[in-house]
Amino acid sequence: MFDDPRPYLWLIPALPFLGAVLAAFLGPRYLKDKSHWPVLLGSVGACFFAVLTAISVGNGFVGAKVYYTWFSLGNLDVTFALRADALTAVMLLTVTFIGSLIVIFAIGYMHGDPGYPRFFAAVGLFLAAMTLLVSADNFILLYAGWEGVGVCSYLLIGFWYHKPSAAAAARKAFLVTRLGDIGLFIGIVLLWLHGPHSHSPHSLDMDTVFAGAAGNVWLGVACFCLFVGAAGKSAQFPLHVWLPDAMEGPTPVSALIHAATMVTAGVYLLARCTPLFVLVPEVQLIVAVVAAFTSLLAALIALTQTDLKKVMAYSTISQLGYMFLALGSANHPKLVVLAVSAAIFHLFTHAFFKALLFLASGSVMHAMGNIIDMRRFGGLRKVLPTTHWTFLCGAAALAGIPFLSGFWSKDDIVAATLGASHYGMFGSVYHGLFIIAMITAGLTAFYTFRAYFLTFWGETRVPDEAYMDHGHAHGDAHADAHGHDAGHGHAAHADHGVAAHAHGESGPIDRSKKLESPPMMLVPLMILAVGALFVGIALGPTGLFAHFLEDHWMRGTGATGFTGLLPFEKEAHHLHWDLMILSGVIALAGVGLAFFFYVKSPAVPARIARSASGLYDLSRNLFYLDEIFAALIVKPAAALAQVMRVIDFYIVDGLVDLAGQVPTFIGFLVRPIQNGLVQFYALLMALGVGGFLLAILLK
Amino acid sequence: MTPVSLESYLLVGAALFTLGLVGFLTRRNLIIMFLCAEMMLQGVAINLVAFARYRGNMGGQVLTLFIIAVAACEAAISLALILVLFKRRKSLDVSLWQDLREPDQDPIEDEEPLPTPPRAAPLPTLPVAGREPVSVPKENSHV
Repeated sequence: MFDDPRPYLWLIPALPFLGAVLAAFLGPRYLKDKSHWPVLLGSVGACFFAVLTAISVGNGFVGAKVYYTWFSLGNLDVTFALRADALTAVMLLTVTFIGSLIVIFAIGYMHGDPGYPRFFAAVGLFLAAMTLLVSADNFILLYAGWEGVGVCSYLLIGFWYHKPSAAAAARKAFLVTRLGDIGLFIGIVLLWLHGPHSHSPHSLDMDTVFAGAAGNVWLGVACFCLFVGAAGKSAQFPLHVWLPDAMEGPTPVSALIHAATMVTAGVYLLARCTPLFVLVPEVQLIVAVVAAFTSLLAALIALTQTDLKKVMAYSTISQLGYMFLALGSANHPKLVVLAVSAAIFHLFTHAFFKALLFLASGSVMHAMGNIIDMRRFGGLRKVLPTTHWTFLCGAAALAGIPFLSGFWSKDDIVAATLGASHYGMFGSVYHGLFIIAMITAGLTAFYTFRAYFLTFWGETRVPDEAYMDHGHAHGDAHADAHGHDAGHGHAAHADHGVAAHAHGESGPIDRSKKLESPPMMLVPLMILAVGALFVGIALGPTGLFAHFLEDHWMRGTGATGFTGLLPFEKEAHHLHWDLMILSGVIALAGVGLAFFFYVKSPAVPARIARSASGLYDLSRNLFYLDEIFAALIVKPAAALAQVMRVIDFYIVDGLVDLAGQVPTFIGFLVRPIQNGLVQFYALLMALGVGGFLLAILLK
Repeated sequence: MTPVSLESYLLVGAALFTLGLVGFLTRRNLIIMFLCAEMMLQGVAINLVAFARYRGNMGGQVLTLFIIAVAACEAAISLALILVLFKRRKSLDVSLWQDLREPDQDPIEDEEPLPTPPRAAPLPTLPVAGREPVSVPKENSHV
């Protein structure tokens, strides 16, 4: 049991799937508001088996098992094969643990929603698809999980489908990630076509593909295509536009997408394919540059957002950029261990504090009667004490305050980037990326604490909606908040102007009501807060995490480990004191600046925004990227669709109609003989027989 | 006595068939048309019998017996149908039944309609059995 996870490995995707099926079929009729039970049990069970898997991997098991052959095409066998190694174990732990906590939180958050069973069915399916993705030992199976994740994100972002903005956001998320999926598929096909033809039969198993990669002349293109797929799923520029809109879904869904599932899929894919990517340093450079640019861009946008969840969304994009930057820094075999383990470590710690931040934001939103616009509330640290300190833990970890989770993982990433500048031909570029990463770290600390101070410090302001019976009108209220930040908010309004509005309306509102969320929602917050504080220091500086990945994955016996593929040189894991001091100072400076701007002298940001209004508007309007994409891609595509519609309507349909017109015309010619007169019919019959007889006689 | 030649039989059969055909195509009375159809059938039957005798085997004769049996059944059915049709329109005119034509075609009207038959005298009605007649017609008052 603790040596070989293969007997129960398949249960990890199967249990949430079973839960989803039960919730979907029994939920609406029989379970009703108990619909969370099958999914909760499924995800907790999956988490249990994930822990067992991690233990057996720690005991030295690395391997895969073919459960059955999914399908065979020619000499290609696609198998349902799952694997267990350190990377899979870490991903499974992250997905199922965070997923289970989110399910528990959602029980409180979604209570009373008419789509309660539907929500849990989709969440269960989401977890099943994601666990399948990270444990698949076969690229086609991975692709199946990949698409399953995409579908579930569509279902969940568009959960309140009667709301036009949610439906549009769901469609956008699906289409944009679809764009990346095409890249992924092309990459897989290239790997297969130009893969090891000496192997017979062809196989898309990871070991076979990696073993044959070295001789593949198309490897660079294939890797780039894989990166396009990963960029779509993990929201890297320019395919990042769907992620902020994904806020239209219920908050637990945002937490699920941003922390545990979906966006980590791209990071996982690139980490899994590191043996391929290390062979093509040019593609690695593209990855690193795109990643650094994404992280900086997202951080700049996050500076001015007033929607608490939007700030978190852009911070996710920025942090994903960090992970890709680490992966892209693996441009030399010596760096592989440091870079890849840094990326996965950041993924792991980020899952904790980002899930925490989203769930805490959800708790704020729940308490504030579904208001999420930071201009409408403030000074909530007395009103929502538990939410406040858990949020603070998450924010501090995200900002990279020394000795918290984010600090250690971010430090590893910048160390990897700095290391990459010593190797290969693109050293100076990586040096520039290192500087961008440090700037982004400072920005991260600043915007995170801006959101924190605006929400929890200052004068206590609570919107009236908080005291109303906020049974479940998520949809309308959030649409309202959305409308607020879509408008051109002036700087003065942005930070403290709406207080008058909030106090202005008076009514029979009972202001003595307790606003803090129910324990069902607070317990997951506390668990995650502990994780956000201590996971980093427990696993990072002690080297446990990196050694786990290195010993049980990268040095694995199969070809998926890197031994045999690379001239694998060990670089001792050491702490970079100089870097740690630098990034610690930057993080604290960012926090201090935020404190000065938003607590000490709240008039300053408005003044700065006025004096640099061009830049401010640029950031506030997301660098107009949505508008640019609309003009460059959406409009031409719509025009093309219009042309296609005309062709379809007039030419294709015309041909089909013509084929139908011919029999109609013949029928029109002979129709008059159907006049209903018996004798006329008899006459025609007699004439016909006569004609035949004549023909026979004359022949 | 010289045997009657095959041609004579065939001529009689052909004559019967042709008369029947012409009658079927030209007459409009349903019963007459039916009789004409029967006549065509008998023309064919004569052919069969003649050929059977000429060839010296009994197959044609047996078939003719069958034809006659079937024709009897057919007569029963078609007379029943004609009766139903008559009840519907109070007429035996076949041109009244054109309903199975194409929907967008006009019915074919005869320029020269059939002479309407004189109204038949009302049939005498019988009183209900076991009950005294209520009113007695005047013509019969002297009885």
